[in-house]
Amino acid sequence: MKKGVWFGLAMMALVVIGLFVAMPSPEHMTNGHLGLLMLGLIVVAIMLGFPTAFTLMGLGTMFTWFAYHSADPSTAVQHTLELMVQRAYWVMNNDVLISVPLFVFMGYLVERANLIERLFKSLHLASSFIPGSLAVATVVTCAIFACASGIIGAVVTLMGLLAFPAMLKAGYGIRLAAGAVTAGGTLGILIPPSVLLILYGAVAGVSVMQLYAGAFFPGIMLASLYIGAIIIYAKLKPSAAPPLSEEDKRVELPKFMEVLSRDGSNAVVGLTGSIVGKRNADVPRSIVLRHLGISLLPALAAVLLMGSIYLGVTAPKEAVPEGVVAMGIAAEDEATQAENGGLQEPEEASGLKEPPGTVAEEAPAETVKEAAPAAGASPDKTPATRRPAAMWYWIVLGLCLASVAVFYAYFSFTRLEVFKMMLGSFFPLALLILGVLGSIIAGLATPTEAAAMGSFGGLVLAVLYGQFNMRMLKEAVFLTARTSAMVCWLFVGSGIFAAGFALLGGQEIVNTWVTSLDLSPLQFTLLAQVIIFLLGWPLEWTEIIIIFMPIFLPLLTHFQIDPLFFGLLVALNLQTAFLSPPVAMAAFYLKGVAPAHVTLNQIFLGMMPFMVLQVLAIFLLYMFPQIGLWLPSLVYGG
Amino acid sequence: MFERSNMQKSLLIIDKISTFVGKTFSWLIVSLTLLITYEIFSRYALDEPHPWAFDVTLMMYGALFMMAGAYTLSRNGHVRGDVLYGFFPPRAQAALDLTLYFVFFLPGVVALCWAGYIYAGDSWRILEHSSITAEGPPIYPFKTVIPVAGGFLLIQGIVEMIRCVICLKEGKWPSREEDVEEVDVEKLKELLHVKDEDIAKLDEIITAREKDHK
Repeated sequence: MKKGVWFGLAMMALVVIGLFVAMPSPEHMTNGHLGLLMLGLIVVAIMLGFPTAFTLMGLGTMFTWFAYHSADPSTAVQHTLELMVQRAYWVMNNDVLISVPLFVFMGYLVERANLIERLFKSLHLASSFIPGSLAVATVVTCAIFACASGIIGAVVTLMGLLAFPAMLKAGYGIRLAAGAVTAGGTLGILIPPSVLLILYGAVAGVSVMQLYAGAFFPGIMLASLYIGAIIIYAKLKPSAAPPLSEEDKRVELPKFMEVLSRDGSNAVVGLTGSIVGKRNADVPRSIVLRHLGISLLPALAAVLLMGSIYLGVTAPKEAVPEGVVAMGIAAEDEATQAENGGLQEPEEASGLKEPPGTVAEEAPAETVKEAAPAAGASPDKTPATRRPAAMWYWIVLGLCLASVAVFYAYFSFTRLEVFKMMLGSFFPLALLILGVLGSIIAGLATPTEAAAMGSFGGLVLAVLYGQFNMRMLKEAVFLTARTSAMVCWLFVGSGIFAAGFALLGGQEIVNTWVTSLDLSPLQFTLLAQVIIFLLGWPLEWTEIIIIFMPIFLPLLTHFQIDPLFFGLLVALNLQTAFLSPPVAMAAFYLKGVAPAHVTLNQIFLGMMPFMVLQVLAIFLLYMFPQIGLWLPSLVYGG
Repeated sequence: MFERSNMQKSLLIIDKISTFVGKTFSWLIVSLTLLITYEIFSRYALDEPHPWAFDVTLMMYGALFMMAGAYTLSRNGHVRGDVLYGFFPPRAQAALDLTLYFVFFLPGVVALCWAGYIYAGDSWRILEHSSITAEGPPIYPFKTVIPVAGGFLLIQGIVEMIRCVICLKEGKWPSREEDVEEVDVEKLKELLHVKDEDIAKLDEIITAREKDHK
């Protein structure tokens, strides 16, 4: 523990020495230098460990007063107070930050709906045929759950209790198991709807919708990188990730299925046969019909999805924008999910299963929409308005048909059971997330509205899964209040602080100093990201975004860097900070629930390869900004 | 000794007041969720949007987090930069905290209360209405939240300072009331039906396997 003290003291000393070097002698001191002093002081003060919101508020008040005092002593107090209260009111009346408590509430509700156990089980059964399936299922579970709940500590702890023992029992290496849990658990920082992106949006004035649209693919890319690496590793070194034993893979079949499966393994054939052939009179027909209905859901969903895309694509020109865009996203979703680490069948089904409700509702509406102008227009115009579908549509259709065919070719009774389990765990969550995200990205709802509906959906989930009770609601409510108060009071403090900093002209000095360095945009981006990464050691990401981001932001215009793009880089970067020793929070959460003989060092070592993947992801995003910017530009045309 | 336990009691009473106020306002998150959900339903399904809804949701959010500030402080829930702090012995922590309460907390929060008092007073004088939408709802009660929340925060801050003094005297932090934790390991274990024995058993598996490797 002594080491930590010296580390902290050394960093503090560095800042103080830096300040001395940068400061001119007192007689040459200007207000701007005071601003810099303020910045140095705040770093030191935060390190001292006093609640940051009040450190900022106190320092901000004093320096603001000083700035006004040096201009006109008689009105200094009045101006300072006015500025303070305006800053506080700005936070209270902020239509971006209002979604913070709503998303946090949704997170606590989903966390307490206790879906994670079923989710993990159904996912690992569904993926049991790929190498390293348990670790892959862990990452996917983490990604989905972290996405819905966003509470890193809780996700890592839960997975540490659930997936970590399962992997160790199956003979997985400790490092791989630890790495999968910690890396997967921190995905919630990046994958929308994340609170980090809301805070960045509020600070940078970038629309949260665009940030969410932008972070979607980088998040999926990172998760796919993890999964790909796990699969390759498991292939190369099967001893560290042995395949599941037959016993673990076995799925309990209900009695009637066992009877039916004697005649053949395909579920659809078997079920149909039992209805048509009346071979199994002892099985109630209603059960058979219900199961047949369930097994036909994917096909139905595929038909609805492709049909509505077709209608959207070929719709008359005027009616195009909304339909095509929304449907285009759905198609993309599905495509990426299908690619997502070879989870072909179940994932495929997920993309398809989700729409029935939404598409079924939308499709008739769209038909009506088209029919209306067609009917209203003169008869000869009607056939001309329908455009031929583009090439990509037929390709997508072909792929879709092929995957449905593959899906049904291997659709045994065992898989039907797994599919039923997924219906009960994976799809409700996926529906919730895609509903929230989809409505934001497609521009149907503001983030606030989507967050409120997400919270409502969380409540419904908790009720449906029998976890809803007064105690659970109370806990979620109180935790939400505390987390929101923590974040928003930090905003109040930093608002006052930033005002003082700007008044003293500190920002100007930073600006002129950085511009005088004559950096290229690339150098600046690198420098900024390195600083942010280093800040991620002593500070929490909330503090970095709220306090330090405003200092970088004015410089972005000078270097002509898109604040949206910069935000995505920052989000990826801060996620890396969560995994970097010695302060990687994720490791400590896992250590808290791991068996005594799993050392912190083993966990750190397990995280390392995943950290490398994160750096690779940052690099990829920088080299190919389209990964992040394509979706926003597609949806918002910007 | 007697004096101290009285002191403890009065600290806990103030904690309880902050907690009560904070928890009461916490419930706004539920009404916020329901109101927005209903408003969406009303707008799209009933075609009947309410112009006041926007203002009202903002007020609920603002009041929620402002009034929960003191409650959060009473649970030590405001984020701290934890580079050095966690390594210090309790007495050093208390001395540091006490100093910084004087240097940062008191000036900042007193100024906020004062500023809020003037601000809300101005609003009451003209019985201000929101100008975000036409014929917006009155906002003077909302602006009053600033000085009130600041006041509660100030009182709770003074309690925290007394806690520091007690800690300086006794060398350990006085106890706080129990409350829900964000990551409550015991509760999560219960949720997943994991017992400590299971983890111990797992430990044996690992150690056995590591022996095999050697």
